[in-house]
Amino acid sequence: MAKTIIDAHNLSKTYNKKIVPVKAVQNVHIHIEEGEFVALVGPSGSGKSTLLNMIGGLDEPTSGTVIIDGVEITKLPENKLIDFRLHNIGFVFQSFNLIPVLTAKENVGFVLQLQKMSKEEREKRVLDLLHQVGLEDKINSRPGELSGGQQQRVAVARALASIPKIVLADEPTANLDSKSAGNLLDIMAKLNKEEKITFLFSTHDVRVIKKARRVITLVDGKVDSDVQQIPK
Amino acid sequence: MMLLKLAWLNIWRNKRRTFITTTSVFFAVLLAVTTRSMTDGVYENMIHNIVSFSSGYLQIHQNGYWDEQSIDNSFEVDDQLYQELLKNPKVTHIMPRLETFALASYSEKTKGVLILGIDPTKEKEVNNLHEKIIEGQYIETVNDNAVVLGEGLASQLKLRVNDTLVLLGQGYHASSAAAKFKVKGIIKLGSPDLNNRVIYMPIKRAQYMHGAENRLTAISIMLDKTTNLEKLKASVQVVLDAEMYEVMTWKEMLPEMDQFIEADSTGHYIIIGILYFLISFGLFGTLMMMIFERKHELGILIAIGMKKHLLALILMLESIMIALIGCFAGILGGMLVVNWFVKHPVHFTGELKDIYENYGIESIIYFSSSENIFIVQTLIVLLLSILLAFYPGFVVMKLRPVEAINS
Ligand SMILES: Nc1ncnc2c1ncn2[C@@H]1O[C@H](COP(=O)(O)OP(=O)(O)OP(=O)(O)O)[C@@H](O)[C@H]1O
Ligand SMILES: [Mg+2]
Repeated sequence: MAKTIIDAHNLSKTYNKKIVPVKAVQNVHIHIEEGEFVALVGPSGSGKSTLLNMIGGLDEPTSGTVIIDGVEITKLPENKLIDFRLHNIGFVFQSFNLIPVLTAKENVGFVLQLQKMSKEEREKRVLDLLHQVGLEDKINSRPGELSGGQQQRVAVARALASIPKIVLADEPTANLDSKSAGNLLDIMAKLNKEEKITFLFSTHDVRVIKKARRVITLVDGKVDSDVQQIPK
Repeated sequence: MMLLKLAWLNIWRNKRRTFITTTSVFFAVLLAVTTRSMTDGVYENMIHNIVSFSSGYLQIHQNGYWDEQSIDNSFEVDDQLYQELLKNPKVTHIMPRLETFALASYSEKTKGVLILGIDPTKEKEVNNLHEKIIEGQYIETVNDNAVVLGEGLASQLKLRVNDTLVLLGQGYHASSAAAKFKVKGIIKLGSPDLNNRVIYMPIKRAQYMHGAENRLTAISIMLDKTTNLEKLKASVQVVLDAEMYEVMTWKEMLPEMDQFIEADSTGHYIIIGILYFLISFGLFGTLMMMIFERKHELGILIAIGMKKHLLALILMLESIMIALIGCFAGILGGMLVVNWFVKHPVHFTGELKDIYENYGIESIIYFSSSENIFIVQTLIVLLLSILLAFYPGFVVMKLRPVEAINS
């Protein structure tokens, strides 16, 4: 039996508690097992980003707990949490993920440098990842010289660099055309298989949803449906 | 290493802004360095001029002489003491002095005068006294039987070169001191006070006249301009018998001049302070813009696992780098400017020249090249940039990643 890697238990988040409360996420339970490839969908304002941020330890829930690979991150103090993210969670955001002054190679290597990995090991891992995302000819380009799709691929490579337990991606394809979006998803799916890293990503895009093996739908901050599917 | 590199790359993201900020620091430092060098140079030179004609940088007296300036508080020449003092490399000259007060008369005029018994060759080396002679000649040896008078005094006594002057005063141990001297030269001194009452007399003659053979009231010591006075005083005190001698600096002997310099410097510090205050605003503005433009990126860095204090450190490094680039450029420029002025001092002409000379100050502005000036300015800028960088550091420490990423 595969082990539980993400365990969100009775998670709630309420914004503007004092003025007009917005219940962005309400009593959500989610279990995700190691190696899953999960899409989080739902209409705008349904709470996808809020949920992902809480699972990634970027935002504090109003109530409930998040356990990642057995560690209750909702209890960690700030610096421990940052360290936990460094070693266990990869992030891909919607856009402008990269440090503009660094090249693709340096951007991917950055987290490894924060982890104090030796130069040789780092070099090897970074080149391998950039190869896997199909950017071996762009290693010395800065983000400004890359297309949006290429930038997102570098961001995916960076998210994977530290060999995290999970990769969280909040609408990684939102700013991409459909071809680049499909391409990014194929790369993510391939890395999910090859590196056995769990992916949880939110999206609006029907074609992207099709690539997932499990689809969780949020409506008004609650889980509306949670289904397995055969990716296309 | 990575942090340094990142900070360096970051400051060049907005080249124009960095350029403007560093340029403002550059001009502030340049201005501060050159004005400081100028005022210090003027002070150093003024001090040097004044003390070379008066007290010297340091004086050694018989204990108690300064409080009661009488020939009875004189002391006997000690050759070994001279040797000891000259061993110090900062000591450039040692001048024996016998100073007394007397009455000078010529025909029916009488005036109180200051007799300075000097070694004419040594004074000449120190202050070019011989060049100030406007009539007649300078005294040449310690035995020369002649005196040189201040121009003011000579005109008050209506006396000319080759006239004979009668001096009447009190000698050592209440003996009476009276002598006639031929006036060999008339001298025009910068200081009106000296000009109106000084008589330079060869030291041996002065000792003989006062019945004080081989005795001195003071040993004046001349130093290199940039010597640290207090340190030197301490090192002189070490070789002296404290029971017998007192050592005084010009600051103790000429307190008005010291106070004048202090007061004059205060104004300068205020101006430089205002200058740096303005520059701080510029730097602060740049730092604020830098952090607000980059909030999204900073949020992402925190999200992917960068500790906040490392980010704060990067921002601090950026602040220091911007400030130091401007500062080093300013120091470099300042060195060039200062060096040029050290080699080509500014000569006043016309009215300004007369005003200065009336105050007994040379009408030339010398610049100081003391390295302290450069070190102090660099430290000030470094300190400012670190202090200012606390603000972005503070913002980073309070940053919440989600909000930052969404901004
Ligand atoms: N910082 C905040 N302060 C107040 N309300 C917020 C804040 N962030 C989100 N909300 C609200 O919480 C709800 C959920 O927002 P969230 O961004 O999680 O939705 P989403 O599913 O990611 O939407 P989208 O598809 O548009 O990205 C919305 O009603 C939103 O207005
Ligand atoms: Mg969203």
